[in-house]
Amino acid sequence: MGVEGIGARARRKEDKRFITGKGKYTDDMTVPGMGYAAFVRSPHAHAKIVSIDASAALDMPGVDAVLTGEQLVGDGIGNLICGWMIHSKDGSPMNMGAWRALEPEIVRHVGQAVAVVVADTAAQAKDAAEAVMVEYEELDAVIDPVAALEEGAPQLHPEAPNNLIYDWEIGHEAAANAAFDSAAHVTTMEIHNNRLAPNPMEPRAALAVYDTAEEHYTLYTTSQNPHVARLVLSAFYNVAPEHKLRVIAPDVGGGFGSKIYIYPEEMVCLWASKRVGRPVKWVCDRTEAFLTDAHGRDHRSVAEMALDADHNITGLRVKTVANLGAYMSLFSSSVPTYLYATLLSGQYNIPAIHANVKAVYTNTVPVDAYRGAGRPEATYLLERMMETAAREIGMDPAEFRRKNFIRSFPHQTPVIMCYDAGDYDTTLDAAMKAIDYAGFPARKAEAASRGKLRGIGFSCYIEACGIAPSAAVGSLGAGVGLWESAEVRVNPVGTIEVLTGSHSHGQGHETTFAQLISERFGLDMDAVSIVHGDTDKVQFGMGTYGSRSGAVGMSAIVKALDKVEAKAKKIAAHLMEAAEGDIQIEGGELKVAGTDKKLSFTEVALAAYTAHNLPEGMEPGLKEGAFYDPTNFTFPAGTYICEVEVDPETGKTEIIDFVAADDFGKIINPMIVEGQVHGGLTQGIGQALLENATYDDSGQLITASYMDYCMPRADDLPAQFQLSTHETLCPGNPLGMKGCGEAGAIGSPPAVINAITDAIENNALDMPATPEKVWQLCRAQMKMAAE
Amino acid sequence: MDMEGTYRIPAPREEVWKALNDPDILRECIPGCESLEMTSPTEMQAAVTSKIGPVKAKFKGTVTLQDLNPPESYTIVGEGKGGVAGFAKGSAGVHLTQEGDETVLTYTAKAQVGGKLAQLGSRLIDSTARKMADEFFGSFSEKVGASGAQQDTLDPGVASEAKRIATEHLPEDAVNALHDAEAAVEHAVEEVYHKAEDALHDVEEGYHKAEEKLEVAAGKGAYGGPMVWGLVALGALIIVLALMS
Repeated sequence: MGVEGIGARARRKEDKRFITGKGKYTDDMTVPGMGYAAFVRSPHAHAKIVSIDASAALDMPGVDAVLTGEQLVGDGIGNLICGWMIHSKDGSPMNMGAWRALEPEIVRHVGQAVAVVVADTAAQAKDAAEAVMVEYEELDAVIDPVAALEEGAPQLHPEAPNNLIYDWEIGHEAAANAAFDSAAHVTTMEIHNNRLAPNPMEPRAALAVYDTAEEHYTLYTTSQNPHVARLVLSAFYNVAPEHKLRVIAPDVGGGFGSKIYIYPEEMVCLWASKRVGRPVKWVCDRTEAFLTDAHGRDHRSVAEMALDADHNITGLRVKTVANLGAYMSLFSSSVPTYLYATLLSGQYNIPAIHANVKAVYTNTVPVDAYRGAGRPEATYLLERMMETAAREIGMDPAEFRRKNFIRSFPHQTPVIMCYDAGDYDTTLDAAMKAIDYAGFPARKAEAASRGKLRGIGFSCYIEACGIAPSAAVGSLGAGVGLWESAEVRVNPVGTIEVLTGSHSHGQGHETTFAQLISERFGLDMDAVSIVHGDTDKVQFGMGTYGSRSGAVGMSAIVKALDKVEAKAKKIAAHLMEAAEGDIQIEGGELKVAGTDKKLSFTEVALAAYTAHNLPEGMEPGLKEGAFYDPTNFTFPAGTYICEVEVDPETGKTEIIDFVAADDFGKIINPMIVEGQVHGGLTQGIGQALLENATYDDSGQLITASYMDYCMPRADDLPAQFQLSTHETLCPGNPLGMKGCGEAGAIGSPPAVINAITDAIENNALDMPATPEKVWQLCRAQMKMAAE
Repeated sequence: MDMEGTYRIPAPREEVWKALNDPDILRECIPGCESLEMTSPTEMQAAVTSKIGPVKAKFKGTVTLQDLNPPESYTIVGEGKGGVAGFAKGSAGVHLTQEGDETVLTYTAKAQVGGKLAQLGSRLIDSTARKMADEFFGSFSEKVGASGAQQDTLDPGVASEAKRIATEHLPEDAVNALHDAEAAVEHAVEEVYHKAEDALHDVEEGYHKAEEKLEVAAGKGAYGGPMVWGLVALGALIIVLALMS
């Protein structure tokens, strides 16, 4: 292993520019003659647009234009699409309503854009946007997804009767029913997964430049996947053909899924840049972000678990209503189906599973993938069920899980997924040891002596990453393949550029990917640069989400490196008149085994480019590309244990200890992995204790600023997270990686809620566990105890 | 938001009824009201500048009086637009009954706000409304009371003011409120003295509520007695009307 190779805690190369404020984000980009866009947004959740009067706005200083949906549609700009086709159980395709980037007729959620103003300055654009007079005729709105399905509910789209997008199922209903008919015990729960706003530190932004001479567009934007953005903008929205559109995603300050999608605003900026005849920049403000960034989660489920007399799980039945908001965002349809119900088997051997998912339109902002995307919903449901079932049958929650663990691999679940490898006992043991499970009763008693309620909660999560085998997802309805591409360019001086289709927006690719090169060729990390986020530089790529950059993106790099290595060895063998098979690469040198003959990597690279003396028929140069398409998902898994203290007088929950024992397969940089887990745990704890995107009955978003939407802070977290990892290699990819980006956010919420409900001995708790809710339950519990 | 409440005004019912229909008095009493014209016996046009938390805007709109039954009751309906600040609309049934030389005003109101008002201000509406209600009825009682009831009776505003402060602010404010109440008591006839006693009692009660509020880290806690709720609610009505008018 090179000093900076696989396994090294190498410092992040990108942090120098980030921590010195030298990062270059979309809003840092400026071009001559640039104008600014501001959007006119609906104050109503559901309303007909009667008229739009822009005359006053057009007379204001600096204003170039006010553009509306009529002009957008008139110019043939296409509707926004959902890229994953889901079929209902009756075989009918999902019912997708039309979504226009600027709505000309009916607004369906508060904050939906109906017009855009372009002006000399951002302030002028915002002032003018306030002067655009829009007359609305209000319609009844529906916010609750269950109410939206009821008879007589307000209807959002003519294409979707009863607001039903699809009524989908997975697994075997008859088999599941049979399991319940013969069950010794049945646990039933109603489980809500609360709605979240993504809140990346950098809000969305776009700078669109149209070159009239070349009839060519350039879009700087906050994207996790610039190539997908270009593909969709070209193929579906008719903004420009792909070869006339360059998409650049420079430094991006966090995404968590919310920057996968192509939103109306970015698209409108592109269109406006040609129509207005000047470059157009737009930067989202924080309240706009709350109103328009795709939200996450928002599931209402009823779940039943069947056990036999020996406490083996024999069946699971789940009915879920998923709120997709007012329109179907790019991957929204796949989140409550193939990213959710396929994980309902968890780490357990469950012979029969049936899940039914109804996806529903409501007058709220669209809901799509958010860190974990479906897997947190599955894990929260299953792990609360496991804890509850264990309590009901009077069995230790750890032992109940252990009893039902899957131990032989590969394991085919009843819900499509085939787990390739895992070792769930080891991570459970590690977590229980780390938190001193045996010592908990003593700690609980000590806390009680201080008037505090102490509780402990488990979560044994599994997720599916390495998204995804193209043919497999294609057969499930995906509109794209989910492979990744890479190109390795060895320069004549021996330095290396790696072009990747993955996109780094906080993950540290510039470091981990360089570590891989360092490992392979023994080169210094500083001799390697990672190029990403520009469709003119990188040939193609599917981007970064679903914890795929390691398992899929780096696998593509490995394939390219194999080709580079093979060619370098041929050249070295030729130059040193040795057999190709005897050439070994070590510490930046190519050596002939068993001799002192060697050439530096630089010498070989130079020889490849001077081409004065290459093997017969060999092309000059040392540059190779590769595409990697995974053969299966990867399955990171682990055990999280949370220990809390609740103050019954205030309802405040304090997380005393949190243990995470993860199996991510091969780890390249443990420091970066720990950072990913810390961030994930914090987001999961935020969902469990604090965060809740809330609409009132009329469809007004009343958590549209940090006054009302509570993000986790340092003092909401334990003094430190106790992390450990166990490595079972993933057989599916060359490095054996599984992915670590989402695990923390997927595994932590049920651990926290299981701990609180254990502490207060009341299970009727939904996230977020605010002090008020917990206090009410404590009171109720005391009343019951008194009677 | 749904609200209902009662308020005692030290003036005969006819006086109060007239005042409630007098654009000049309303204009002078509605905080931030810049103009208010009677466009017909049942319609008013108005412009009001209001601030809820971070949202400050000039609201223009109309208020219509329906189901007029002078001098006993009417329904007041309105809708106002604050441009980008959003919109407010609502209606209230107002009922007047004479008790001695006082008039008891009872109302039930519905109101809805939208846009930035809801996004940024929703959590602040109650407190802002309470403040505006106190301002409105402070001056309204003054104006109407001046012509009607005698000056030496204790302004009921003091009692409710004391409650409001005690329930809303920290102890030292409550102590001041206490002094106000006591000062008022000095001039008071016996019947008024009892009122002041209530005030003192409510101040104590207010203390506990305030302390509880500090202890319980639970979002919106409940405020004082029904009277205070009436004030809060009526305040909310007034601001909504202000926004609408």
